[in-house]
Amino acid sequence: MPPSKAEVLQGTLDLIVLKTLEALGPLHGYGIAQRIQQVSEDLLKLNQGTLYPALLRLEQRGWISSKWGVSDNNRKAKFYSLTRAGRKQLLAETETWERTTALMTRLLRGAEGA
Amino acid sequence: MNWFRVVASRLRGLFSKHRLDGDLDAELRAHLEMLTEENKRRGMSLQEARYAARREFGGLEQTKESYRDQRSLPFLETFLQDLRYGGRTLKKNPGFTAVAILTLAAGIGATSAVFSVVDRILFRSLPYPHEARLVSLGFKAPLDSMEFMLGADYLEWRAQQTAFEAMTTMRPGVSDCDLTQQNPARLTCSEVESTFLTTFEIPPFLGRNFTREEDRPNAPPVALLSYALWRSRFAGDPSIVGKTIPLDGTPTTVVGVLPRTFEMPTLARVDLLSPQALDEGAQQRPNTGAVLRGFARLKPGVSPAQAAIALQPAFEQSLNFVPPAFRKEVSLVVRSLQDRQIHDSRLAAWIFLGSVLAVLLVACTNVANLLLARATTRQRELAVRTALGASRGRLIRQSLTESLLLGLLGGAAGCCVAYGLLRWFVSLAPSEIPRLQQASLDSRALLLALAVSLLSGLLFGIAPALRRPAPELLAGKEIRSTSRSIFRELLVAGQIAASLVLLASAGLLLRSLWNLQSVSLGMETDKVVTGKISLGNYHYPDAAKQLAFFERLETALKRLPGVSSLALSDSLPPSGGMRSTIYARIEVAGRPMPAEGTGGMVGWRAVTPNYFSALRIPILRGRGFHDEDRAPNENPIILNETLAQRLFPNEEALGKSLKFSMIGPWRTVVGIAENVRNNGLTEAADPEFYIPWKADVAGDFQTAHVIVRTAMNPEATAAWMRLETAAIDPALPIEIQTMRQRVDKLTQRPKFNALLLSLFAATGMLLAAIGLYGVVSYLVVQHTQEIGIRMALGAKPSNILRMILLHFFRWTIAGALLGLLGSWFAARLLESLLFEVRVHDPWPLAFAVGLLFVVAFFAAWIPARRAMRVDPIVALRSE
Repeated sequence: MPPSKAEVLQGTLDLIVLKTLEALGPLHGYGIAQRIQQVSEDLLKLNQGTLYPALLRLEQRGWISSKWGVSDNNRKAKFYSLTRAGRKQLLAETETWERTTALMTRLLRGAEGA
Repeated sequence: MNWFRVVASRLRGLFSKHRLDGDLDAELRAHLEMLTEENKRRGMSLQEARYAARREFGGLEQTKESYRDQRSLPFLETFLQDLRYGGRTLKKNPGFTAVAILTLAAGIGATSAVFSVVDRILFRSLPYPHEARLVSLGFKAPLDSMEFMLGADYLEWRAQQTAFEAMTTMRPGVSDCDLTQQNPARLTCSEVESTFLTTFEIPPFLGRNFTREEDRPNAPPVALLSYALWRSRFAGDPSIVGKTIPLDGTPTTVVGVLPRTFEMPTLARVDLLSPQALDEGAQQRPNTGAVLRGFARLKPGVSPAQAAIALQPAFEQSLNFVPPAFRKEVSLVVRSLQDRQIHDSRLAAWIFLGSVLAVLLVACTNVANLLLARATTRQRELAVRTALGASRGRLIRQSLTESLLLGLLGGAAGCCVAYGLLRWFVSLAPSEIPRLQQASLDSRALLLALAVSLLSGLLFGIAPALRRPAPELLAGKEIRSTSRSIFRELLVAGQIAASLVLLASAGLLLRSLWNLQSVSLGMETDKVVTGKISLGNYHYPDAAKQLAFFERLETALKRLPGVSSLALSDSLPPSGGMRSTIYARIEVAGRPMPAEGTGGMVGWRAVTPNYFSALRIPILRGRGFHDEDRAPNENPIILNETLAQRLFPNEEALGKSLKFSMIGPWRTVVGIAENVRNNGLTEAADPEFYIPWKADVAGDFQTAHVIVRTAMNPEATAAWMRLETAAIDPALPIEIQTMRQRVDKLTQRPKFNALLLSLFAATGMLLAAIGLYGVVSYLVVQHTQEIGIRMALGAKPSNILRMILLHFFRWTIAGALLGLLGSWFAARLLESLLFEVRVHDPWPLAFAVGLLFVVAFFAAWIPARRAMRVDPIVALRSE
């Protein structure tokens, strides 16, 4: 049985999108969705549509900006790129995330050891 | 600010919706197409690739929906949508909209305007700190309509009292005083005790209050200026304090300026206050001393009634000095200052408030009725919207928004109406209603009225949305709810009742006004011009100088063209204000003085011989005055009929001798004059007598009225009178009025009352008619099929008409009966405002009922006629 796909954890989609844009530079929605699925090796169940409200939310907060452009296969598409505020936010969120996971790991290990 | 950026971007989203929607579509389409291509590359057919893409993408519409919610402010967006929709609905039914807005405007406008006026009279506090603790106190006796004190009593009461923090007095009334500068001015002055301002807790705006030393007899004269006088006459000179001004020729030091909001407790307008300088030594028994108006500040927690009890011993002591014959008629009064100021405006104010609330009630009922009617016709629309997925909450919000829109439009129109009405009231208001001139639109009143009508709109606006629409409505079936239509008819009956009460009350007041205006005065007022002249103390210090002036004036005015008769008198009927004496103090030769009672007051006037011919007052017996009567040793007297009857009930009065006020010579009765109204229009003539205008011990000639009967027009005569007066003394003001204007002034207040109430009655009736019209038209539309069937079965149009009218007359009659009951109570409230009208006079009531029925008939008949023209074929097909 293949492992069941995990739902995207509440609140992590923003971090994933920001990280993707940092890694790949300006990208359209489709590209972001492909990249997320590729990296997660299809373990993540993502309704690609949910990406768009998230992108809008990030844009409204000023962490990413968007511009109409042309895709590789000559299609008109909206490209999203990370802003300076977005980079700062990414750093901050990464740090928080790492702290949280480290803490969780320690707690879980500790529980096993006892 | 992050949230600020988010809100700003969302607001942008709200207003550039179309472009952004296009962008989103393009973006999502591109995404789907890229997915499809990818799938095709993996070897799927076009069809399969498309389906797979859709699957991977998830719900397209849900995505758009949540994207839109994220993009703008969903709450606001729905609101705007509802608002646009509501606006369109209102525009689509201009008749409904106009009636609803006009109804609201009338209700809100009239209520706010009247409340703004009434509030000033009834509820607004007086401009003194802790005003609730201020009282007016003194003797109540036939001598004066207001309570007063005598100097000796005041000093004793002040020494003994325990209930007051402070007591103070002022001299009654105001007096004229002259600013005798290069450019002289006539001022209104008042004399007060040095404790006056401190008792009212009013600090001067500039300078200081009078000191006790300044309030003693023969102290160097000082004065406090009113703010208005300081600004107008002294250009707001900041260093005015300490300067001297010549007042009636005496240099007077200005010690201060009163605050701008200062108001005399008697509500008199004054320019200047000076110390009353009461000679306390002269106020000892058995002298009674000066007449004073007394005011006091109660100690905290003491009520006027408690203060009256505390003062009782002191009062009884004072009563010992009142002649035993008069004691029964003297009582002690301690009442709040507010009560003293508004005592006779209070009832009228409450009546206005009551009637305007009735109008508001009718207006609200109308709005409710209109909305209910419309809601019923919109049931199908609601059913369709429910079927398309609108939630109950969404429908309620929509209804609320529409009601709100209607309420706001009505409110805006109401503000305009209120503003206009208030301006009109103020321009019309009789001057003796206190504080009306300063009334301004009260925002609380406006808000209250708006809230009430909005609430009624909301209540009835959402009522239909609360019920789940029946699915049958979708099929075009009408569902009639009888309970609601009975409710609406009840509302109409209530409106009719309220209008009837208003109409009947207005009828009573109008009838009373009619009686008042056709009251026989006992004199002829047409073609009479009067001029009031008041001589200053400085230039006319004694009776000789005063008489000399008036003699010159008389001679000069007699030469005017068109003058048929000219007279002088120290006072004028029909308003009060003549000099008076106690009846029991009139001594008849050869008769003992009465032992008990004052017998009330007897008025008297000093008049020149032509007085009776100028006012055309008939001499019933004997003769009028002649020029010879002005010789020093002639002492004739003329009685009015009432006094002659009273003094000499069974004998001939002519030729009798009498004396009044225990002073002066014996006077011989030479004539009996017809009664002339001398105490306002509503009261029967008080006893009155006349003595000749000449130097006399009783005479005081500071103020006189010139009475001119002329064939010329009053304006020209007035101009000549001014010219002639100025020729003798250019600084002397003369106040000119025709006799007609003087009499009209007395009917001003009843006129105002009647007019206002008639206005409310007309508004109420109009609104009720609109309500009835609405209900009947609605019923006719609803019953079109039934009517069609009846007609198809052979009913004649006249039968249909009768059926509908009968149905409504049941409700009208029910309303009218309720209204009759209400009118009966209303009439009892109005009783004291009525003049020579029986409280339960059937005529105004019959008129009101008749008028109401005629209006109700037409309001029902016009829409009912439409039912007669129903074509049975069309009616049956409409199913």
